[in-house]
Amino acid sequence: MTTSQQAQPISTLLDPATVQAIADEVWPSLVGDGEAFVPVPVAPPAAVVSAWVDIVGPWTGSVVLTCSPATAQALTENVLMTRPPTVVDDEDVADALGELANVLGGNIKSVLPGESRLGLPRIGTAPPRGRLDDVCALVGQWRGNFLTITVQGTAPHPSGTEVPQ
Amino acid sequence: MRALVIDDSRAMRRIVGTILKDFGYEVREAGDGRQALDVLEEGWTPDLCCIDWNMPVMDGLQFVFAVRANPALRQVTLMMVTTESETGQIVKALAAGAHEYLIKPFTADALRDKLALLGLLPEQVTA
Repeated sequence: MTTSQQAQPISTLLDPATVQAIADEVWPSLVGDGEAFVPVPVAPPAAVVSAWVDIVGPWTGSVVLTCSPATAQALTENVLMTRPPTVVDDEDVADALGELANVLGGNIKSVLPGESRLGLPRIGTAPPRGRLDDVCALVGQWRGNFLTITVQGTAPHPSGTEVPQ
Repeated sequence: MRALVIDDSRAMRRIVGTILKDFGYEVREAGDGRQALDVLEEGWTPDLCCIDWNMPVMDGLQFVFAVRANPALRQVTLMMVTTESETGQIVKALAAGAHEYLIKPFTADALRDKLALLGLLPEQVTA
């Protein structure tokens, strides 16, 4: 099995402009007409939540979407097209944020070389990053709120041995 | 017309379902291929199934194989609606018996165009 330690780092396979182009397609389709991920950094919030999907193939890692819990809730309301007084719950947030990560991840997978598999979306604390050069991060905002899309290699196993897949 | 929307994401089921309802479809939802087969086994036969690929329990490709193995469901049109966009995956799905393939993200117009290609766009929408 190839690990991210042996494979080419993501920085040689993908650039932020490609990730931005994918986000430019995903946002209007899922978040709503006229909505956009803007690649202009703003101050990070005190607390964040992440949704991610794993990619396993010639390059192995994760596509991670990170924002504040309040932004996750606002994104969910947009994705689900809810209007007050309808309130989205934690399950809705996990589902909507996970689907955003899934669609971003699927499209990023398609521009990587070779055949890869996409995992199911997960939500929580982002998985640890691997090598420093095995990261392609896009830091930006949605409606002025901090949001990042990070394509990151899998962290090496603590023992230094190959990570089972 | 009837459509069964099969996706493990409630958000995506809602998006696809809303568009189809706007087109005049009666819509039911399933969270994975197994749940979708349960709906079909109830006797609720759709004209169209919109099928995600990556789902727990039973994925979209397994569902396509299961439907195509049942001669009673021969008339059901199967359309993959998925982020799996590599040519190899598309070929695999079409070879298994899917009729069309729509890659996420998509717009309502893209879904409408696919339905028109399949002859599954209700007359009032075409007009």
